[in-house]
Amino acid sequence: MIRLEKIHKSFGDHEVLKGISGDIPQGEVLAIVGPSGSGKSTLLRSINLLENPTAGKVYIDDICINEGKIDIKKIRTKVGMVFQQFNLFPHMTSLQNVIYAPLKVKKLSFKKAEALGKTFLKKVGLSDKANTYPPLLSGGQKQRVAIARALAMEPEAILFDEPTSALDPEMVKEVLSVMKELAHTGMTMVIVTHEMGFAREVADRIWFLDEGHLVEDSSSQKFFTSPNSARAKAFLEKVL
Amino acid sequence: MIFLDFERIWPSLPYILQGIPVTLSYTGVSLFLGFFWGAVLTFCKVGQIRVLQWAAGFYTSIFRGTPLLLQLILIYHATPQLTGYDISIWQAGILTFTLNSGAYVAEHIRGGINAVDKGQMEAALSLGIPYFMFMKDIILPQAIRNILPSLVNESIDLLKESALISVIGGADILRRANIVASEKYLYFEPLLVAGALYYILVMVLTFGARLLEKKLKTS
Ligand SMILES: Nc1ncnc2c1ncn2[C@@H]1O[C@H](COP(=O)(O)OP(=O)(O)OP(=O)(O)O)[C@@H](O)[C@H]1O
Ligand SMILES: [Mg+2]
Repeated sequence: MIRLEKIHKSFGDHEVLKGISGDIPQGEVLAIVGPSGSGKSTLLRSINLLENPTAGKVYIDDICINEGKIDIKKIRTKVGMVFQQFNLFPHMTSLQNVIYAPLKVKKLSFKKAEALGKTFLKKVGLSDKANTYPPLLSGGQKQRVAIARALAMEPEAILFDEPTSALDPEMVKEVLSVMKELAHTGMTMVIVTHEMGFAREVADRIWFLDEGHLVEDSSSQKFFTSPNSARAKAFLEKVL
Repeated sequence: MIFLDFERIWPSLPYILQGIPVTLSYTGVSLFLGFFWGAVLTFCKVGQIRVLQWAAGFYTSIFRGTPLLLQLILIYHATPQLTGYDISIWQAGILTFTLNSGAYVAEHIRGGINAVDKGQMEAALSLGIPYFMFMKDIILPQAIRNILPSLVNESIDLLKESALISVIGGADILRRANIVASEKYLYFEPLLVAGALYYILVMVLTFGARLLEKKLKTS
């Protein structure tokens, strides 16, 4: 459902993405890994055009979204995103955070949105925190609300940019387990992560980025047992 | 030796006190309108339309860079000349104070907006929330919280500056004290009363602001 065609991205004269192509079919869980600064976040953010590629095409459901007249807001409702820093709206309760977009963007009735919100809060195990404001939540809880918020738009895919990197170690697990469950429901997920154990266990496929190139595109099993490239080998030796 | 003679102005006290609602109405109405005007200016400043950014910036610098008294006199006397509309003292006062405080409030609001962390913008984008709704429902409520203390300061400034209205004949506290003064040939006492009234009003506002701040902190 997501297709990237020769994506380039430069900041000034610093070329961060150097022509990346690939398909992410419906229902796939893809992990993007690689050294710091290799362009993982930039690539991920190109998928919902938080970064506008300098060249190349992004297709979602066979529609090129970075060319011509496209209602980008509508596209973005199809692709949710979860951020490292949660980015919750602190003046709204968990439930309000979750239902705001369904209510105001999708224009669901309050009743429907509320029911939806409660369902997804339950799914991430936070029914009892529906009326709590984000500043009073732990990091792990915040991230789970953020996941519920993305889910409530009922997107076709969700992008995760290092969802556990800002968390204390003891909270990483609760977030990963929510994500694991999500993966089992058949949600298309693109996850930038440093959690190699998680990637190995949950991802169907791995993209290994290095210096703006997609160096390796392998099944998870292949990548972690016998990677093709020397660079991936070196990377794995360093992080595992 | 200063000899204070409050007895002679005692009968005029109610007359001076009637200036309180006048002063408060100039302050309150201008602050209210000025807030919305300031919000509009802020939207122009932080928005993506170049011309509006520039216009709002120019506007702010003019109103902050010239004396309020001059603005007031100009609006009061120039409006009839330019438009043929016979502007009343009250209208001229409200208009001037609104336009002026809007310029200051806009700066406060912009500061309050900048204090909201940028990640929320990306979250809103990723949810497909339109820019205007994002500003109205997500940024503005947080910004207002951030700027409440400076808004109170703004209202205190405005309360004191509203005394300028007496220059063009507005019957506020100061003007009334002045009238009493010239009728009785007594200057110190009525002006002292006026000063005390302003001081009390400012203190009430300050106290209210502290309570509010405390409440915001706990909630
Ligand atoms: N908005 C920006 N302006 C300028 N340079 C940027 C910007 N965003 C990213 N970069 C640069 O692009 C390069 C790739 O950044 P990116 O965030 O995509 O890397 P990453 O692989 O996600 O790294 P990390 O693992 O540290 O998050 C870096 O050198 C970074 O400094
Ligand atoms: Mg990154």
